[in-house]
Amino acid sequence: MTRKRQLRFTVIRSLVAILIALLVATVLIFISAEGRTFMDKLQATGEALKQMLLGPIFRFSKNAGLSFEAKRLLDIFAAMIPIIFTGLSVCVMFSANQFNLGAEGGIMLGAFVAAMVAIYLPLPAGIHPLVAVLLCGTAVSVVMLIPALLKAKLNVSEMVCSLMLNYIIMYVIKFLMNSFLADKSKGQIQSHRFLESANIPAMVNDPLFIGAKLTWGFPLALIAVLLCGLFMYRSRWGYSIRMIGINQEFARYSGMNVGKTIVLSQLIGGFLAGAGGGIEMLGRYETFSWNALPGYGWTGITIAILAGNNPYMVPLAAFFMAYLSKGCDLMATYARVPAQLINIIQGVIFLFFAADRFLSKYRQKLVVKSAEEELARAGALKED
Amino acid sequence: MPDEKKLAAEEYVVRMKKITKVYSNGAAANREVDFDLRKGEIHALMGENGAGKSTLMKMLFGLEQPTSGTIVVNGETLKLTSPSVAIAHGIGMVHQHFMLVPSLSVAENMVLGMVPQKSGMFIDRAKAIELTKEYSERFNLFVEPEAKVMDIPVGMKQKVEILKALVRGAKILIMDEPTAVLTSQETAELFVELKHLKAQGYTIVFISHKLNEIMEITDRLTILRGGRSMGVYNTCDVSKEEISRLMVGRDVVLEVQKGKAVPGRPVLRVRNLEYVNDWNKKMLDKISFDVREGEILGIAGVEGNGQKELIDMLFSFNTPDAGEATVNGVSILGCPQEKIRALGISLVPEDRMLNGIAAGASIEENVISDRAGKKKFNRGPLFNMKAIHEEADRLIREYAVLCKSRSQHIGMLSGGNIQKVVVAREFSSSPVLILADQPTRGIDVGATEFIRKKLVELSRSGVAVLLVSADLNEVMELSDSLIVMHGGQIAAYFEDTSDLTDDIMGEYMLGLKQQSAEEIGRVCHD
Repeated sequence: MTRKRQLRFTVIRSLVAILIALLVATVLIFISAEGRTFMDKLQATGEALKQMLLGPIFRFSKNAGLSFEAKRLLDIFAAMIPIIFTGLSVCVMFSANQFNLGAEGGIMLGAFVAAMVAIYLPLPAGIHPLVAVLLCGTAVSVVMLIPALLKAKLNVSEMVCSLMLNYIIMYVIKFLMNSFLADKSKGQIQSHRFLESANIPAMVNDPLFIGAKLTWGFPLALIAVLLCGLFMYRSRWGYSIRMIGINQEFARYSGMNVGKTIVLSQLIGGFLAGAGGGIEMLGRYETFSWNALPGYGWTGITIAILAGNNPYMVPLAAFFMAYLSKGCDLMATYARVPAQLINIIQGVIFLFFAADRFLSKYRQKLVVKSAEEELARAGALKED
Repeated sequence: MPDEKKLAAEEYVVRMKKITKVYSNGAAANREVDFDLRKGEIHALMGENGAGKSTLMKMLFGLEQPTSGTIVVNGETLKLTSPSVAIAHGIGMVHQHFMLVPSLSVAENMVLGMVPQKSGMFIDRAKAIELTKEYSERFNLFVEPEAKVMDIPVGMKQKVEILKALVRGAKILIMDEPTAVLTSQETAELFVELKHLKAQGYTIVFISHKLNEIMEITDRLTILRGGRSMGVYNTCDVSKEEISRLMVGRDVVLEVQKGKAVPGRPVLRVRNLEYVNDWNKKMLDKISFDVREGEILGIAGVEGNGQKELIDMLFSFNTPDAGEATVNGVSILGCPQEKIRALGISLVPEDRMLNGIAAGASIEENVISDRAGKKKFNRGPLFNMKAIHEEADRLIREYAVLCKSRSQHIGMLSGGNIQKVVVAREFSSSPVLILADQPTRGIDVGATEFIRKKLVELSRSGVAVLLVSADLNEVMELSDSLIVMHGGQIAAYFEDTSDLTDDIMGEYMLGLKQQSAEEIGRVCHD
């Protein structure tokens, strides 16, 4: 099949999957919409869909109609920061065929370590957040050694191991917070305030003009995308990771060190998740008060699958997920449709992306077309 | 001359019309092929590897679905969506690689999926045995109902397969290279049985490359070439030469011109290698030999006599129970492949799809897999893409790989071109020893010729080559000297291959003869 057809197929397939997910969502919204008559329900559904699809970046007003809202777009950008990092983390690990689900615990641990550095390790501004983020990444990398080494040495399932690890991380952090680190003067479990020097400064912060805040974490996330893409497609380590993911036997036969590379992929995945947690914590919060897994790691898995494990596609997928999540929130607020709907939409998209045979007949048609053209061309050449 | 005699429609049990099959990797395996079977005939389906024979038969057996075209069985147009549909219409297949459960008895294998029961929940073994005996007698196919499949000889396994199809009501039997695994004695026996089946009104499709067998047993033959039908002929009307020309299309002389070898010092030394596999079968029994610089040492033998295990040991996919192997004095057993490659050992693996390539990656990514870490291809932490592109383009050019570009997915290429990519990588890493395991299996004539020439060229430039091949012509043609493996042992060593004949080889390959330890010992050049 030609490259152009391949691309066309991928794009069409993605759009159809998203469309089906939205259709399913529409049906569910309709069922849960308020209203006595069919028409009432239909109207409520329309209102809810409008909020979900347009709400994230437009404002509705009676007289002016739709108007673009820069603040809301910046909010989406801000929401993209942590999920770009977890998306990249999952991309790297899944590329090596390592189904490590530890990005969720990783981002929480990263956030926690960042908070500790921000509170207890006074450093000059500028250096402080940098050190904090590097330490977060390293800490999570070290923890990821557990599933990675168990897999490489004893062939223990990294999926089960990392999944359990998430809860161990969460409860250890809760234990430390409850027992030792909480600010006892406050009514809830939260840490002491971060030192001023640890803040990741805002890039856009104009409360009077548009009331939005976007930290330098966003360009950092985009730089991470670039570095991750270079690593995966332009370096020998990324190459080894990808080859192992495609055919481990081939990689072994070619003389690559499979065990080492499996460990490496999970160390890098851990670092990215940890760094993401740190950047999120230092950019958005003044105290550490997370008492449950934040969910960014799970979203990261969806993003990696949407992006086809290609780091360069991660920002796009992250934008889509952040947009959808914002839309569902708005829908819940203004149209009284449960925000949990986003999980269903995610689930359906997930299903169609993961389904190998989805639209395979259409793909087969394109393949046959390409093969016929090629044969015709070969025939024409021969006659010349 | 094509068979022009028209028959009434009802005399055909199968008519496949204008069958086209395009696989999802874009390869067109069949193009508008017509194929029909008359009741009670033995019909040969011939063609080179990759001509589309298996694909055509898979469609008749419901394993694959045609992209276009119709299949008519006994006058009824059918959609054969799965083997069970095919079986229900009386079509059975005897696969080249037997589909039997080795740990079960012959009778149990016979009734798999249609088990006779007693008291509603237990397997009625007595009935299974009775059924097996009944069919065995009726069709003159002798099997031992109570023996475990793993203990019976290959010939009997094949009979079990045939009986399995017959028990399920098959009237049309597709036999995929049935004689490939048989000794000549067993082949003769099989032919008697097939004639017997034919006399009883059964129709048989006989897939084979062996011209003598085709001439002996078949009534008609269909020849495929490059996925197209080259016509249907009455076997008695065509000569072997004609068939051969139709199959290959040109008179390819696969005689590789090679000068006399001037062997240097030994590169690979193997001493007393022993290995017992997981099923307690001794696969390697005190194997010792040397391969010298500038010579091609061939290993001939019926498949499954320890060749695969030997290569696995030499490339460190497995470790032997005893013995040693060195390359230029360095022990190689149990080393990581990284070190094996650093020592200058290359392997053209037996199964290229299993470990020879990463099918989802590009040609370029496949061709640099053993050298991606080399200084030449890296600039600091990143790849030197220019150097990598140049290397890939150079190898594609030198090894005449037919492709659109270096970034094309390798899985889209034909078998021959995939093998060329594997060979390009393995031959271009300046090896001191090449292990070539079935280097031309299942690929087209052009690619075969090319790869053989390259192999000879390299050996003449001083590389030591160990060639394992099930293709007798290939080992005899290419090897300077030759060993025959049988039952995990070296059965014979021939220092000079020029006056060897198929007959002599056959006797050693089948274990009818065995050279003395002294004669075999000459392969170690101490």
